[in-house]
Parts: sequence; structure tokens; C-alpha cells
Amino acid sequence: MLATFFRALGWRGALGAAGVVALAGVAISAWSDVQSDPGADDGKLTIGFIYVGPKDDFGYNQAAYEGSLAMASSFPGATLLQAENVPETAESETVMEGMIDDGADLIFATSYGHFEFAQHVAERHPDVVVVHQGGLEEAPGLPNFGTYFGTVYEPVYTAGIVAGSASESGKLGYVYAFPIPQTLANINAFTLGAQSVNPDIETVTVATGSWCDPSLQAQAAQSLIDQGVDVITQHQDCTKTIVEAAEEAGVFSVGYHASTQSLAPHGWLTGSEWNWGPLYTDIVGTVADGDFTNSDYDGNYRVGLQTGTNPFVQSDYGTSVSSSTESLVEEARERFVEGGSPFAGPVLSQDGDTVWADGEQPSYDEVETMDFMVAGVIGQTG
Amino acid sequence: MTTPVNDAPAVDAPGVEEVPAVVSISVATAPDARGGLPAAAGVVVRALRWLGPPAAALAVFALFLVLKGASPAEAFEGMWRSAFGDGDAFGETLLRTVPLLMAALAVAVPARAGLFNIGGEGQLLLGAIGAQAMAMVLDGSLPSAPTLVLMALAGMAAGLVWAAIAGGLRVVTGMNEAISSLLLNYLAAILLAWLVFEPWKDPNSLGQAYSEELVGGERLPVIWGDRVHLGVLLVAVVPVVLWLVLRYTPWGFKLRVVGGNPEAARRAGLRVGGLGLAAMALGGAIAGLGGMLEVAGVEGRLRPDMLVGFGYIGFLASWLGRHHPLKAIGASAALAAVAVGGNGLKVASGLSGGAVNVLMALVLLAVLGWSQKESKETRAPSVALRVGLRRSAARARPEAAVAGVAVATGEALDAEGARA
Amino acid sequence: MNVESILAGAVAGGTSILYPTLGEVIAERSGVVNLGTEGSMLCGALAAYAVGIETGNPWLGVLAGLVAGALMAMVHAYVVLARGANQLATGLVVSFLGLGLTSLFGQDYVGRGVEALTDWDVPLLSELPFLGRVLFQHDPLTYLSIVAAFAAWWALRRTRAGVRLRAAGERPEVLSTFGTSPVRVRFLAVTCGGALAGLGGAQLATAFTRNWSEGMTAGRGYIAVGLTIFAAWDPLRAIAGAYLFSGAEALQLQLQAEGTSLSPFLLQAFPYVVVILVLALLSSRRLGAAPEALSRVFEGRAA
Repeated sequence: MLATFFRALGWRGALGAAGVVALAGVAISAWSDVQSDPGADDGKLTIGFIYVGPKDDFGYNQAAYEGSLAMASSFPGATLLQAENVPETAESETVMEGMIDDGADLIFATSYGHFEFAQHVAERHPDVVVVHQGGLEEAPGLPNFGTYFGTVYEPVYTAGIVAGSASESGKLGYVYAFPIPQTLANINAFTLGAQSVNPDIETVTVATGSWCDPSLQAQAAQSLIDQGVDVITQHQDCTKTIVEAAEEAGVFSVGYHASTQSLAPHGWLTGSEWNWGPLYTDIVGTVADGDFTNSDYDGNYRVGLQTGTNPFVQSDYGTSVSSSTESLVEEARERFVEGGSPFAGPVLSQDGDTVWADGEQPSYDEVETMDFMVAGVIGQTG
Repeated sequence: MTTPVNDAPAVDAPGVEEVPAVVSISVATAPDARGGLPAAAGVVVRALRWLGPPAAALAVFALFLVLKGASPAEAFEGMWRSAFGDGDAFGETLLRTVPLLMAALAVAVPARAGLFNIGGEGQLLLGAIGAQAMAMVLDGSLPSAPTLVLMALAGMAAGLVWAAIAGGLRVVTGMNEAISSLLLNYLAAILLAWLVFEPWKDPNSLGQAYSEELVGGERLPVIWGDRVHLGVLLVAVVPVVLWLVLRYTPWGFKLRVVGGNPEAARRAGLRVGGLGLAAMALGGAIAGLGGMLEVAGVEGRLRPDMLVGFGYIGFLASWLGRHHPLKAIGASAALAAVAVGGNGLKVASGLSGGAVNVLMALVLLAVLGWSQKESKETRAPSVALRVGLRRSAARARPEAAVAGVAVATGEALDAEGARA
Repeated sequence: MNVESILAGAVAGGTSILYPTLGEVIAERSGVVNLGTEGSMLCGALAAYAVGIETGNPWLGVLAGLVAGALMAMVHAYVVLARGANQLATGLVVSFLGLGLTSLFGQDYVGRGVEALTDWDVPLLSELPFLGRVLFQHDPLTYLSIVAAFAAWWALRRTRAGVRLRAAGERPEVLSTFGTSPVRVRFLAVTCGGALAGLGGAQLATAFTRNWSEGMTAGRGYIAVGLTIFAAWDPLRAIAGAYLFSGAEALQLQLQAEGTSLSPFLLQAFPYVVVILVLALLSSRRLGAAPEALSRVFEGRAA
């Protein structure tokens, strides 16, 4: 009887049985893990990070990831939980909840579109601190939730100064994904910086509809070059293709998110890149000391040249940048330290309307909700 | 588990009649697995045999994990906890089953009519868009129940139209609906991006890229835990309704005739084109409903990245369940568990979440190629491959070759077509 | 309107569509539809990129890409031909598998520098005023793709292998009369098609973009299947189809760079709309040219 059973089972049945046993083992092991309650407070911090893209994208997410590692080296006993490719949908909430189940005391939601979900999680778990990178919290905020970001626009403006000085054709190129405020503010800051050197500068913009589609990037870069652009920059998660295309065509390139100077030995001007380590470390330190609520971080924390160390820094200069250009950059930086803004008026929109008059400048909130392009930018938002 | 065919009087041996070869091929059916066992044991045997191919898929997946340097045990445990670890996890799996099931049914119904709807991805999005549009139009002027019903209808209408484009193109131009529905997916994503960044952008959003929020009566009420919404009840209702329609209505019957043999159906006077279009439209409507449930139940507003990949996973689920509406429930739930498990996989092993696509694909390959539903027609192709390979080597008896291999290949071609 | 730029972009970007289209033409001519082309392309792209990085030799990478694409196609061929699975479903599953495998194993290679396949200007011809830029300043794989298209066209018409391949797609019974197994011919055809798709992926990663990113083929494999119908299963018309799509892409980006007032979103949709329109207008005629064996698949008998 048993023999008939086994013969009837055959290889398939044996495999099936093995699969069932393995799955049962996994279930039991998982169940016992849940029972042993990893959420218990063992006095050590558990910190979770979620990224919208891959952590080695040579761009935005990698910068955040490297920041997390730098921070972790200052807190040797802490446990780090990492999740990459977390989409900006309700699924991110599930991932964050999972991290809290695993004992997270502090969560960094590093992508712009994670904002709403990070807020929901913070609401549901008052004993967990959630900080979001780049969003804007409306007052009154939650005592366990805050946003942080650097004033990205400062190094982008100064990079624009360098680009404006270097460009002979007077045409700069900008490849981007979607007309989100951060991107528009970047484009505008870059253009304004260049126009401070050469008021006739034009910035040609091309939207690919994707944060990293190398083939569209290659075509876009080529289209820009064919239009006479001689400095290219971008707001993309991956920048390698564009920088290399620029280098091969003999035009200048300006980096963003990460330094790609090694890829463009001749054409590299400068760029801007992230250095999250110090800021992350400070945030974690504040939480570890139990001082988060009502600290600077419990709110919309923006750090720039005026207030401290901007986590977004200007990259090294390329070989062709002259010292007079460098001094122009220094002058601009000093203005910012004094409280000036890259968007200080007079600023005109593409339609010719005055957005900020001479002597006016926007607040951080206004900058981070920007929805127009300045005069001199060629392109449509949508 | 080889069959006697391998030991048959060799077709390539000179002087052997071809008839025994044909006979032995047709005799090469799957052995009766239950011979001599009591019913209960027979059930267990069949269940375990059915689980064999998916288990093999799991094993191959584990192998890939090892190659990548991750621990399969850790990975699987992370996946399990994420999908079934506690009440919340179960809730997530259940929530994910909803759109996946609707997407699966969107494939299953046209498939019964012989059509390939790969456009579930786009139809889900259109459903969400339609629902959001209706909510914006009504603007809270009606109480919750009628609002939700109207949103559902709007979503279904939008999904229906999107699928009908592909179906219509087929009827009018003959363009294959698999390709047109696939291309329409890309267009749907661009449409969503445009809506969310331009006309429907939330004016209160402080820069975030999404539409206005669905509030109050526009959201499906939560019936369990923190997030499980009313829509999950449809997981039980919709497939049953579809099954009843397909099985017991005249329309359903006509659909299945068209799917079984379009030529015969045409000759019998059935309007093949119209029925196919209707099947695509119905599929699109169901996917549209899925989109509405997701936006009103889980997401709460339109976002550029919503529902990404759900259409394709739904396609896989429909195939897993052989396009049977009721089996689609289990198949969708299984794939939902794997998809939700991906979150746990990411955190536990540091792997990219895309790794679960490997598991899903392997399970599908196992089921597509080694499904327990074996019959003569299923066996023939592998026979044909073996006989065919030998055929090329030994050209001793051309007549035998014609009869033996032609039958085998003919059966193989028939089997390809007949496999649903 | 910089026509020279658009056409040059069409050729440069079109290579990675031409290869999989050629591969699909070959597979479908033998009677098998391979929707797994996308998976073959992705695996080819990653393999080429990774091997190019590890060995420092881009040509070894190209070879690896070719092999990877062929292997993926062999999975499809085996499950469809030996196990009798449905062609369209299996193809999509194989593409899914390719997407997942490259996502899993490609993590370490995102954004890393590769020794790229540099452009090679054809001597003399590349100096020509207009055509020089459009046709003769591309990477070696682009030139090879045109050669491959002509070779495939010639092979299908004039060689015994080509005749056998077409027979497998039109009259498999005749093929077996002469002692060749149609199944075997199809297996080889699909594998060959996968190798070409892998080559397309390799060109995309090591020559055109010099980058690796998850899902970077962005549906090219599926577009190739559509273009196969557009090309009426003729390798030479496949060139036109491939350049039509990539030309549309180059055009929309060029329009943006020129400062058009059209919405970028509309322009992004343009290439896909072009393919749908073209297929819609031509399908009724083209489908008549389909290999017999495919009518079963496309009509979707009980599948």
C-alpha cells in the first residue's frame, strides 16, 4: 500500500511534499520570530531607511545610502534597516510599518513622494520618530515627524554662474523627468546664476518622463547638443549617460547628485552633490538623546549656507574654470551666508511677468512650491 | 516518469512498420496516478503532485538567491512574515489580492473568447482615473454609498473604453490585440502622469505630485484593522458572478464556442468579431473596477507610480488559474502573497524587490509547462521533440518518417493550439 | 527642424530595436511567437555590461550578451516546443523572468563605468555632408545590424537553412517528409532570435547609453514584436520599422529642444501612438503575409 502510494507520488509528488515541508518550516520559524517580539526596547536604536530607487544608482539614492552608512559609523550599536526600490505609493507605508514591527525607533523616508505615507505612519506610531527628506509639513506639525532638506538651489545657482561663464554659445541644456517644484527651482536657479554672468543666457529644457531611462537620456543629450547647447546638466537619478554624451561631443557638463568628474575629464565644470552624513548623524543624535520633539528637526528643517552646513555641496571645479569665475562664486556664496537667496528679485517668468521685484525674495515655502520657469528658459512645464 | 514510448519499437529502425509507432505514441498517456489507492490518499497524491512544479520553482529561486549571496532561509522567512506574519500582514496580502484578481479576471474573460488582453495594466489605471474624475465631478454632493457606486461605474466605463480600443482595432483592422493592448499600457501611464502633474494636480499639495485627495464618502470604508477596506468583499462576489455568466448564460456559452474554435463559430453564424469585442470590453470594465477599488480603498488619490506592475501580475494569475474565474481567486491570492512578501525580502536580505518577479516567473513556467492537467495532447510535444530529433539522424525510412513524425508533429501543433 | 540630427538619432537608437525585430522575424517565420524578446534583451544588456566591466573588453561583453539572450530564448523554446505551453503566455513570463533576474543580479552594476564600444567613423563616407552623420558615424554593432538584416533576408530566400526555416512556419509536414524535424528547426530559430535580441540589448547598454539601469529596455522587446508584423516578416522592412520608432523618439526630443509649445507629455506619447497607428493602418494587409503556423497563435485558438 505504502509502496503504491510512493510510486504514484513520483518525482513531482516528492518535490511537492518537500516544498510543503520547507514552507512549513519557514512559517514556523517566522512565527517564532514574531513571538519573540523583536520590537522590544533593548536600549539600542534601530533606524530604518527607505529609498525610492536602487542604492547604487550613482545619484540621489546612493547619496542617501552613503549618508546612512556614514551615520551608522557614529552609532556602532545601532541596527540599520534598509529597503530600496520602495515606490511612492501606499506600499511604502507597508514597508515602514514592517520596519516598525522589526523594532525601528526612527525612520528616514528619503524620497519626495514618500511624504504623505511617512506622515500617516508617524500619526499611527507616536513613539516612533519619522523624518522625511524634502517634504513640507503644514503647521501645526506632529511632535514625532519632521522634514529636512538642504537649500539645493544655492550650489545649483553657483554652478550656473560657472556654466554661464564657460558657455560660448549662450545656450545651456537641462534634461529632467517631471515638472516637480524641486526640478523647476533647480532649472530656474541654474538659469539665474548663468544670467548673472551673461544676461542673454538661454536654458533649453527636455523632459524625458523618466527618472532614469538611459536611451531617452542619450537621445535627449544629442538633441540638445544639436541645438547648439554647449553646457549640459540634468535633474535625473542617473547621470552617467548624459555626462558621457556631453564629453564625447566636446561640450561642457555640470553634475548633479553625484560627482561624475571622472567621466568627463575635459568638459567637467562643476556640479552639486550630496553629503548627508553630518545631517543624518545630527538627527539621529537628537533622537537618541530623546530631544526630537520641539527641536529644529521637528518641523521643516532647511539648512543652507546661512544657517549651517548645507548637505548639498558644490562639487570640485574642472580644469577649465578660471579664477575670476571662482571669485564670482565666492561672492554669491557670501550673499547667501548673509541671507540672500538665489531667487532674489528682479525675477521674471517666461511670460514676462515680474514674480519677485527688485529687493524681494521668496521664502523657502515659496521656492519649494515653484510652478513656473523663469524668462530665458526654453520649454513647457506640461 | 518516462513513458513506454521511449522503448517503443524504434521508429528509425529500418523495416519497422510505422503503425506501432503511432500506436505507441497515442498510448503514451500519463499513467493513472491513482491506481489502486483509496480516495483520500488519491487526493493527497494529486495535491502533492500538483505542488511539485511550483516547489521546483521555489528551489530554483533559492538557487538564484544563493548565487546572489543571500540566504534563502532568511529571504523566505522575511517574505513569509511580510505576507502572513501577523494580522496586519494578512491584511496587506488581502488588500493586494483585490486589484490583482480584477486584473486577472480582465485577462480571463477575453481569454475564454480566444483573445489576449495584456492591457490590464492600463485598464487598471483608467479605472482609477475614471473613479477620481467622478469623485471630482460629484464633489461631495451625494452621500457615500451612491458616490462610491457612481465612482465604480465610472471606473468600469473608463476601463471598458480603454480595452475596447484594442478590441475595436482588432475587429476593424485585424491588429493583434495583444500588441495593441500592450502599447496602450504605456500610453495610460503617460496619461496618468500628465493628469497628475498638470490639470488635476492638487492645489493644496505643497509641491507633491498627486491629484486631489479622495475624502470622506469618496473613500471605501475600512472594515478590518487599519486598512482593509470594503472592496475586499468583491473578491468573493465578482469571480462568482463571472463564472455564472460564462457557464450558464447563452452569451457565456457563445463566448466559449468562439474561444474554442473561431472558424466553427463563424460558420455556425456567431458574430465572432462582436463577441470578441464584448469580451475585451467586459475585461476592461473589471480591470477598471479594480482600479477604482485601489484608488478609493488604498491610495486615496491618483499618483504617477500607482498600480505599476499589477496588470502583468494579474496576467500571470489568470494563467496560473487557467483562466477559470474561481481559480483566479486562489492564484491572485498566491501571487499577492509573493508580491507583498517582496517588501519583507527587501528588508531582510537587502535584495532588490524585483527578485520576487523571478519567483513568480519560475512558478508560472513550472505550471505552464508541467501542469498536472496532462492528456495525450500534452505528452505529444515532448514525444515529437524526441522522435523528431532522432528522425533527423536516421533517414532510413522516409515513409515511416512521414507517417510517424507527421502524426506526432501534427498532434504537437494541435496541442499548442488546444492548450488553454 | 534639424533633420540630420533626427535621422542620425533614428539610426543610433534604432539599432537596439532592429536587432530584436530581426530576431523575432526569424522566430516567427519558423512558426513561434516569442514575447520573451524583452527578457532576452534585458539579459543581454546586463550580461554585456557586467562582462564588459569585469573583463575590460567590450567585445567579450557583446559576446556574453549574445549568449545570455540565446539562453533566455532557449527557455521559451523549451517550454513551448517540448512542453507544449501556450506561446504568448510563456513569452510574457520569460520577459518577466528576465526583468526579475536582471533586477536581482544587476544591483551591483548600476551606474558603474564600462569600457564602451566606441563609435567608428567609416573612412571617407563619414565625411559626406548629410549622410555622413546620419549613416556612417555609428558604433560597430549598428553597422553589423544592417549587415545582419541583409544577411537574414538573403539567407531566408537563398539558403537551404532559410528554406527549411520558412517551411517550418508554413508547411511543417513537408519539412518532415524530407527528414527534418520542424520542432528542431523552430528551436534553433527561436534561439537564434534570442541571440539577436541579446545583441540588441548589448548594443543598448555598451554602445548607445553606456549604462545599466533596471528595465532599461523600456518595452523595446514588445515594440519589436509589433514591428515584426509591420515588417510583414521581411528582414529588410524591419529596418524601416525600427527606424520609424526610434525616429519618432528622436523627433519628439528634438521638438522639445527646439522649444515647441506642445506638452512634453504629449510628445512622450508620440512614438507609441505612431506604432499603434501604423500597425492599425497596415495590419489588415500585412497579416495576410503571416506564416501559416502563426495564424493559430494570433487567432488565439482556445488560448
